Amino acid sequence: MGAVVIRTKVVQRPELNFWERLYFPEVFRGVWLTSTHFFKNLTLHAFHALGLFRRIAAAVTIQYPEQLWKLPSRSRTRHRLTKREDGSPRCVACMMCETVCPARCIYIVAEEHPDPHIEKRPRSFTIDLGKCVYCGFCVEACPEDAIRMDTKIIDTSAYSREGMVLDIKELLNPTGVPKTL
Amino acid sequence: MPTLKIDGKEITVEKGTTIIRAAEQLGVEIPHYCYHPGLSIAGNCRMCLVEVEKMPKPQIACHIQCLDGMVVHTQTKSVQKLREHILEFLLVNHPLDCPVCDQAGECRLQDYYMKHGLYDSRLNENKVKKSAKAVPIGPTIMLDSERCILCSRCVRFTDEISKTGEFGIFNRGDHSEIGIYPGRELDNKYSGNVADICPVGALTDRDFRFKCRVWYLAKTESICPGCARGCNITVEANLERPHHANGERIMRLKPRFNGEVNDWWMCDAGRYGYKFIDHDRLLEPLIRNQGTVQTTGWNDIVEEVIKSLKGVLKKSKDELAVLVSPEMTNEELYLAKKLFVKELGLERVLLLRTKADGDQDDLLIRSDKHPNRKGAEWIGFEESKRAIQEVIDQGLKGGLKGLILFGQDLAALYPGRNVEDLLQRLDVSVFVGSNHNLTSEHVQFILPAATYAEKNGTFTNFQGRVQRIREAIPPAGQSKAESEILTLFADHLKLDWSYENEEQIFDSLRRSVPQFQGMNYSKIGREGVPVE
Amino acid sequence: MILTIGIQAILAVIMISFVFSLAALHTWIERKQSALMQDRIGANRAWIRLPWWWARPINWLLQPFNVLGLFHPIADAIKMFMKEDYIPPASNKFLHTLAPCLSLFFALVGFAAIPFGNTIAIGGHVINLQVANINVALLYIFAMASMGVYGVVLGGFSSNNNYAVLGGLRASAQMLSYEIVIGLTIMGIVMIYGSLNLQELVRAQGSYLFGWIPLWGVLLQPVGFLLFLAAGIAETKRIPYDAPEGESEIVGYFVEYSGMKFGMFFFTDYLETIMIACLATTLFFGGWQVPYLAASGFLFPWGAALALPPLAVSLLQILSFILKVLFFCWLFMTIRWTLPRFRYDQLLRLGWHYMFPLALANLFITAVIVLWVLS
Repeated sequence: MGAVVIRTKVVQRPELNFWERLYFPEVFRGVWLTSTHFFKNLTLHAFHALGLFRRIAAAVTIQYPEQLWKLPSRSRTRHRLTKREDGSPRCVACMMCETVCPARCIYIVAEEHPDPHIEKRPRSFTIDLGKCVYCGFCVEACPEDAIRMDTKIIDTSAYSREGMVLDIKELLNPTGVPKTL
Repeated sequence: MPTLKIDGKEITVEKGTTIIRAAEQLGVEIPHYCYHPGLSIAGNCRMCLVEVEKMPKPQIACHIQCLDGMVVHTQTKSVQKLREHILEFLLVNHPLDCPVCDQAGECRLQDYYMKHGLYDSRLNENKVKKSAKAVPIGPTIMLDSERCILCSRCVRFTDEISKTGEFGIFNRGDHSEIGIYPGRELDNKYSGNVADICPVGALTDRDFRFKCRVWYLAKTESICPGCARGCNITVEANLERPHHANGERIMRLKPRFNGEVNDWWMCDAGRYGYKFIDHDRLLEPLIRNQGTVQTTGWNDIVEEVIKSLKGVLKKSKDELAVLVSPEMTNEELYLAKKLFVKELGLERVLLLRTKADGDQDDLLIRSDKHPNRKGAEWIGFEESKRAIQEVIDQGLKGGLKGLILFGQDLAALYPGRNVEDLLQRLDVSVFVGSNHNLTSEHVQFILPAATYAEKNGTFTNFQGRVQRIREAIPPAGQSKAESEILTLFADHLKLDWSYENEEQIFDSLRRSVPQFQGMNYSKIGREGVPVE
Repeated sequence: MILTIGIQAILAVIMISFVFSLAALHTWIERKQSALMQDRIGANRAWIRLPWWWARPINWLLQPFNVLGLFHPIADAIKMFMKEDYIPPASNKFLHTLAPCLSLFFALVGFAAIPFGNTIAIGGHVINLQVANINVALLYIFAMASMGVYGVVLGGFSSNNNYAVLGGLRASAQMLSYEIVIGLTIMGIVMIYGSLNLQELVRAQGSYLFGWIPLWGVLLQPVGFLLFLAAGIAETKRIPYDAPEGESEIVGYFVEYSGMKFGMFFFTDYLETIMIACLATTLFFGGWQVPYLAASGFLFPWGAALALPPLAVSLLQILSFILKVLFFCWLFMTIRWTLPRFRYDQLLRLGWHYMFPLALANLFITAVIVLWVLS
């Protein structure tokens, strides 16, 4: 066993030169940079108001909710429960998602299914979006492909905590799916 | 006394011991399905195959008896390969419905597949479908013969233990399946055990069905309070996810092995007798005053009770009776005696049953339905019908001024007597108990008590075996263990008791009651201590 | 007498409404300018739109305001007034309430001495466009600005909150340090023009170097001007000198304030900014002076002339003053959204080690020149 060698890397801190140390020139440089943006955007906005140069954007921001960003196809959005052909939920209340959920936001109550070959079905399936961390583990854990996070609903808001709770009806037929996508 | 080697470890065992038992003693786990220590040996699952040197073929460890000089290998390549193949056979017709199967999580097929299987399925044919899924074959058990691996444990149980013989294996070969003989029903007193011994999800408990997944359960070792047998049990509770089963906390009871008391079994009455813990509970101290019921705090109600008791005691000590019950733990009975007999000097501190006697058999069930009559006797409470009758007579005549009940439903115990009238005549009537009943509806003070699953303590079964109960769930609502309630009384009476937990109470109990001498909680441990 | 008082009252009302609306507009400017500087759009969601069909022309008129987000200051004000006015139970309630009032009051009264135009003659009355023509206006303004520290310190102390106290302490140390620099830089101007009366100072900046370069303070005192700017921003406690507030570390002396009391502190910040802008304009940029505009109209150095009525001249001068103030406001805002915050030790070192000696040197050299070269 040789001596432990701690490898070090000396990080060169950038040294300020005389002009930079004076501070004032750098202030002017900064102000110059921001001002160019200011005047460029101001001019563009003025032109836009007159109906000119609409193609050149004056802002990089998306004007949500009038404009919607095209979500990547794999993005995790609000949950939904998939259905069988007859419209009943595919979910068999196996509690895999409830078990794996790190936020403990899924509440399932199971009951007997009239068809003994399905056996089990959820009497209630509730997700508290106020607690959900959108990790997608529930989707990974589901053995029946019964829960998905592909509604593309990203704007979740409510006036109360109760309003953040989705019941099985809402999960089976999500309302508020954006139409423009 | 043969000496043999298992996986290189030497062990000497009794003559006639099987390899699987010897391995168990060594801590070597041999996977098995059909073998159950409490049942005869069937040897049909072939999962426990091991290699024994000088024997030409692999042998089933559950059946081969140990011989001197035997050398057994349980972990060789060929044994592992064998297990894999056996599992593959067992799983050929096993459906993939683990998600909806209640056994998932405590299923031997799952466990062994993860431990010894882990092969890729080679099955191209369709699985042989057995008869309908999910058939209730009795009031307690649901049968799904598709999941069955035909280990025949259930058949042997009903043949050998319950001796009712409802189960059988029907048809041949690929089509064989377990079932109930035509025209019969699995309704014996021990039917719940077949769900325990079923290594897969073929027999599941209808009571537990779909209530909760087994991995949510918190398990606490306890004692069944259903009869004088004191079967060792595990209380399995779901505390973290109250939305299942409407907020019920106790999900099921499972028997726990104790060779001296109950072996691996428990009766159905005990197994399903836990419902009272989460239903109809008295949740807060109540004071009833001319028909109106008022909730109050513990300190207030204890103050009130003591004030009323002192009023009665001023006149005469004969006019106050305390009825303790054989459902109370040793510690509580000891405290009751200490408080009422020693400190308050009462003469009428009597033992009264809470339940009528029931049936008895020669397996487990005892006719006395109380878990701690023996302990009560040792502490000095003998149940005397005459003394109780006297109290009731005196009460009906108006000669009784105060009555403290520990859980007894007088109205139900003495249906012929006008118990409501008796309670009305009293100056002070106190009910210390966990659940609503007819009597609790008429008493003046209700002190909610914890159930056996919510407190610590010891019971003494009919054999004189002292066994521990443990707090599996916190007391419901504001209820308190009787020991705590009695300590609270002592505090308000300015007695210097200073018991912080049940163990300290037991320590002073063992000093004053000779039968408990030399015992303590760590000695009692998991399986209890017998008193010779 | 009554007439004089009335005129002064009207002037005061004009000044206050100008300053208030500019301060309110500052919240809008702050949002919109930062947005433009950062390629964003900025707040534009507080819309007023009347639902009735007959209100369509009104809606049409309101539309540009809506789009520009000009109703946000109103929304802000409504929010501030509607919020719970929370006074921490452990605080000194009287001082806690007094502090923002002090802050706002002293920030406002300083404006009385700012001349926003030359004298104007209406109906025989000569009106000086200045709320209070004080001989020692500069001293007055600095006195008032110094009093502003009390609001901040009291706010910090009365909250009974460690962070607030820290903020208050930082604020007082910073304001005291930089006030000295401001005082010294202004002394240069005072020496050159020989007056403490702001109206006099502005008038004195009406002369021309070589006959065509307007002889504004900034030409005579370039170093003084830069120092004044730097120290002036420090007085407003805005970035890069916002260590007393430091939202990301201590939140500052107003951490325990909510609702309109917080709004008053907030407002004070803007008022101080405007104050510094007004002072910079008055002292270094010729106040209401318009280059080549004399009382009778434009007199260009190349000989051309444009006669204007006296009222138009006055209006031009007022406009000039407003534009210069707005320019400085814009400049301060740009700096605020460009530079990062100084660390507290850097801030004090900058003040005492660099700016204070520089200001002293500037004053000394100015004094030498004024004494020996000019006289």
